[in-house]
Amino acid sequence: MLQFPPWKIVLIAGALIIGTLLALPNAFSNSFLGVEPQRPAVETAENIAAYNAQVAAAADSWWPGILPDNKVNLGLDLRGGVYLLMQIEEDDVVERRLTSLSATVANALRTPASDRVYAATEVRDDELIISLNAGRMEPDTMDKALSRIDDANSPIQGALGGQQTFSFSQRGDREIVIELTSAARSFYLTDARNKSIVTVRDRIDPQGVRDVNPVPQGDNRIILEVPGEPDPSRIKSVLSQTGSLTFNLVNDAPSDIQQAISLGRAPVGWRLLSDAETGEQLLVNNTPVVTGQDVASASQGFDPDDNTPAVDFRLNGTGQRLFSKTTQENVGRRFAIVLDERIMSAPVIREPIYGGQVQISGNFSMEEATDLAAIIEAGELPAPLNFMEERTVGPGLGADSIRAGTTASIIGLILVAIFMILSYGRFGIFAVLSLSANIILILGALSALGATLTLPGIAGIILTIGMAVDANVLVFERIREEKAAGRSPITAVQAGYERALSAILDANVTTLIAAIVLIMVPQWMGTPIGPVSGFAVTLAIGVITSVFTAFVVTRWFTATWLRWARPKTLSI
Amino acid sequence: MLLKLVPEKTNLGFMKLRFPAFILSVVLIIGSIFAVSTQGLNLGVDFAGGSVLETSVPDGVSVENIRSTVGGLDLQDVNVTEARGAGVNAEAVFVIKFKPPELSEEEAAERESGNASVVDALKAAFPGIEIRSNAAVGPKVSGELLWSAITVLIGALVLMLFYILVRFDWQFSIGAVAALSHDVIITMGMFSITQLEFDLTTIAALLTIIGYSMNDTVVVFDRVREEMRKYKKLALGQVINLALNGTLSRTLLTSGTTLLALLAIFFLGGPVLRGMSFALIFGVLIGTYSSIFVASSILMTIGVTREKKSIDDVPGFQGAP
Repeated sequence: MLQFPPWKIVLIAGALIIGTLLALPNAFSNSFLGVEPQRPAVETAENIAAYNAQVAAAADSWWPGILPDNKVNLGLDLRGGVYLLMQIEEDDVVERRLTSLSATVANALRTPASDRVYAATEVRDDELIISLNAGRMEPDTMDKALSRIDDANSPIQGALGGQQTFSFSQRGDREIVIELTSAARSFYLTDARNKSIVTVRDRIDPQGVRDVNPVPQGDNRIILEVPGEPDPSRIKSVLSQTGSLTFNLVNDAPSDIQQAISLGRAPVGWRLLSDAETGEQLLVNNTPVVTGQDVASASQGFDPDDNTPAVDFRLNGTGQRLFSKTTQENVGRRFAIVLDERIMSAPVIREPIYGGQVQISGNFSMEEATDLAAIIEAGELPAPLNFMEERTVGPGLGADSIRAGTTASIIGLILVAIFMILSYGRFGIFAVLSLSANIILILGALSALGATLTLPGIAGIILTIGMAVDANVLVFERIREEKAAGRSPITAVQAGYERALSAILDANVTTLIAAIVLIMVPQWMGTPIGPVSGFAVTLAIGVITSVFTAFVVTRWFTATWLRWARPKTLSI
Repeated sequence: MLLKLVPEKTNLGFMKLRFPAFILSVVLIIGSIFAVSTQGLNLGVDFAGGSVLETSVPDGVSVENIRSTVGGLDLQDVNVTEARGAGVNAEAVFVIKFKPPELSEEEAAERESGNASVVDALKAAFPGIEIRSNAAVGPKVSGELLWSAITVLIGALVLMLFYILVRFDWQFSIGAVAALSHDVIITMGMFSITQLEFDLTTIAALLTIIGYSMNDTVVVFDRVREEMRKYKKLALGQVINLALNGTLSRTLLTSGTTLLALLAIFFLGGPVLRGMSFALIFGVLIGTYSSIFVASSILMTIGVTREKKSIDDVPGFQGAP
């Protein structure tokens, strides 16, 4: 127990040195380490100036690139920011899927044109109902319809066992009911979640410079954390729009509009929408000329007439072709730019538009124009996002929490150190040295793993300080007993370590079990408990490092001292 | 001269105290169950759903001002209090809790977790007010969080029971789990009586208490096992007493250092950690008590299957070393 061959010493010293190197970056500023700063969340002149100064300082850094420069990742509760838990409703996804399926099925029933099956389709709840036209029923119409629908069915991409997209059955004499299979439902739900994640990221961080990383949670949820953002409402407004953009031809004949308003419905193929700004009602054609998918890029710009903020965008090749063709044919008429069923703008086509450059102007603020550009460029969300949970920590509170946590840790450490040295003298000093090594190792491990330190996580470290001493205490008490039993210093220390080992292991394994349960169970259950998981991570790391420092590092110190001082009696 | 909390050799009759301790524990457990079932727990937004806002206190603005501003909005269960903020020279903060009004499903979908109206109203009424934190938890998520928390607690208990079962005999594992359940129930009773907020952080605290109490119990059990091998003829009560006395100094020292660290968090860690550190301080005390009195008393009551034959009992080996 007290023999340390050179290879062991190399391993112990190596672990301590690596831990220290990993923990070291936390003592310095990012500029000193040469780490590029994050762009500020709110771009004021001051913030930008500070940012540029940091970039310049980072470029001047002499910190060797070979040394680690990862710091402990601070949780939102410590650095401030917005946390959002969003959910995609399965019903919405299924409804959209069935709507697009209804076009496929209707098409299949109409082919070949010489032998059409006449039918109406309707999406109701989570069923697609095909009603065959009563006036055109032949004896074999139902069979023909069923077989054509069967041909239109296809296996789900990537699903095991070639499961089909939908199941269908005959109901009554003239109805066929189509339902998505459960495999298809979960496939489309996950697919919608993954597409939403990309869209969310593109909308919140169009330039890709902020530390924004939406992550999936379970089948249909997304967690978004935006550090440094003080105001959740702007983020929510950017994400609550579906972002479905279309260009449609308009019928602005006052008599037709009046008629539609008084009848309460628009003519077939048209719908009545109102202008977001003026409230003017217009009839808009249901078939869009171009959609959001034909947009190549969008950015915030200015209206050349009055220099107010506007949104510029450029259509891609297909979009340009379609748009120039339509504008050529419809000079003098109006077209509407429709976003989420609201008319953003309905200009008159004065001349054919060939370049594919379009501008929406209106009463936008700078922020609104920037956000709208991000929404258009990121594209449409596959389904609306519902906000399930929202937490915001202001930067002031975060800074206060860091200060309070640090103060509490330092005072806690000092108190424990005094107590240990008073109780065990020289051995207490060994324990305190290894306790300091323990804290450095925890910091190093947190930095290297990229784990997130939260306020409860700081409490976990402080608790580890208190409990790490336990292993030392177990050993020292044993040494006292062995000494009281009349053993020589070396055998007493030896026996102390040997006999305490099983208790130390059992005790720490049980704490580790608690920590692992706290980390794993919420993940399995799909309910993240962010700050608390941070606590469990530090606790788990702390248990492992404290067994190493208390049982190995302290023992090494003690053995070295015993060999050097050769004490006749132990003072413990 | 080194500090000694406990004299080198103690011979306290812990097992004699087990009946009074038993009565005390039963009273505490019944009281806790009674408290939790009658007045319940003060569930935080994590588990109850709803919103909580923490704001700075602008000059000359009182709790009543805030209450009347927020009360004018269409909200339920509005509760405004003034509290100390984080840090040593803590600034005061207003803590505003409320629930959105009960709405039909469609309306709720639009308004869910919307604190924006409250924030806007506060900013309009009190220019310069700073929103320090803001949380809104929808009813679905809060239900799931509660369920997740219960699973975490039960999962941890079951795994520990299993670990002790593997490392020791089954009697030990019953003793350990009895002690842990004792600690959890009484800590929850404490939360019910004091009406301290019970939230996710509290669950972390409860789990730590379980880990800590387990730690203490295992150290005692480890010693019981060792003493049982050493003194095969000694009555179980005496063996347990020996083990408890042998580990007493360690038990108190470890509790002492842990409590020192926790007191530092309690006084200096700010309000976010105050509930958690209070629970932990209480848990360390109750966990220390339960590992001495509850776990070992149960072990004593159930009895342990000991190796029947000590080497002394084998004919021809009398007096062997």
